[in-house]
Amino acid sequence: MKWRVNCREATELFSRTQDERLHLADRVAMRMHLAICRNCTRFARQLQDMRRLLRSGGALEDETAGLSADARQRIETELHQKLKP
Amino acid sequence: MNSLDAHAWLADHGDYLFRVARRQLHSDELAEDAVQETLLAALAAQSRYAGDASLRTWLTAILKHKIVDLIRRQVRETGLPRDEDDAEAVDLLFQQDGHWAEPLKPWGNPQAEAELGQLRRVLDECADRLKPVMAQVFSLREVAGMETEEICKELGITPTNCWVLLHRARLFMRECLTLNGFGGTSA
Repeated sequence: MKWRVNCREATELFSRTQDERLHLADRVAMRMHLAICRNCTRFARQLQDMRRLLRSGGALEDETAGLSADARQRIETELHQKLKP
Repeated sequence: MNSLDAHAWLADHGDYLFRVARRQLHSDELAEDAVQETLLAALAAQSRYAGDASLRTWLTAILKHKIVDLIRRQVRETGLPRDEDDAEAVDLLFQQDGHWAEPLKPWGNPQAEAELGQLRRVLDECADRLKPVMAQVFSLREVAGMETEEICKELGITPTNCWVLLHRARLFMRECLTLNGFGGTSA
């Protein structure tokens, strides 16, 4: 069991917490590292900020980007084919 | 419902569906395919539309499955990104002893909606620069919020490969964001 981890290992552990629950030993090792490391604390904070921003996708409702005229025409044609009796 | 509906779906929701798909697939072409397949599937299944969800919500739910199908197909066709390139790029971020190669700059804490909009654009651009499968796996997790385990299973990737892709994507995204405005002129 490893209680001391370096920055590279700590970032891996923190990244993993974004996906699953860590084993106790890993959790302790990560927290001990974060407690003393400003860079990794920033890293952790930034991953959380990134996720928050990515999941607040409300802007999609208002944005103007959309299907190109070509694509729209192609899809129209496909739908039309499908709708033919 | 009659045959007019599918054309109205495209007119009313096509652009929105495209934007949702584009953000997760990182390719115009694939996003167009996703919209087309969604509308065709909706057409075939329209008798099952209960009408209790809004049409857009129903179409978006179908779209989610189509997005995963398209990524699965892509993984099957092109495989995973070449491992060595990405491993080298990660090595550059750290020193031999595992310390960060460069100190991390803090990000600002933007509140204004205009600023947030700008940051979201940077996020999308940075994600577009990742290799396709890496970008797609990243977005399934971080944008769509799918569970990691489910992503691996759906795409037929081993949990280890899946996790390595996600971790590297996060490292690369963080670098890209810091270099492109998150490091903050306006912190």
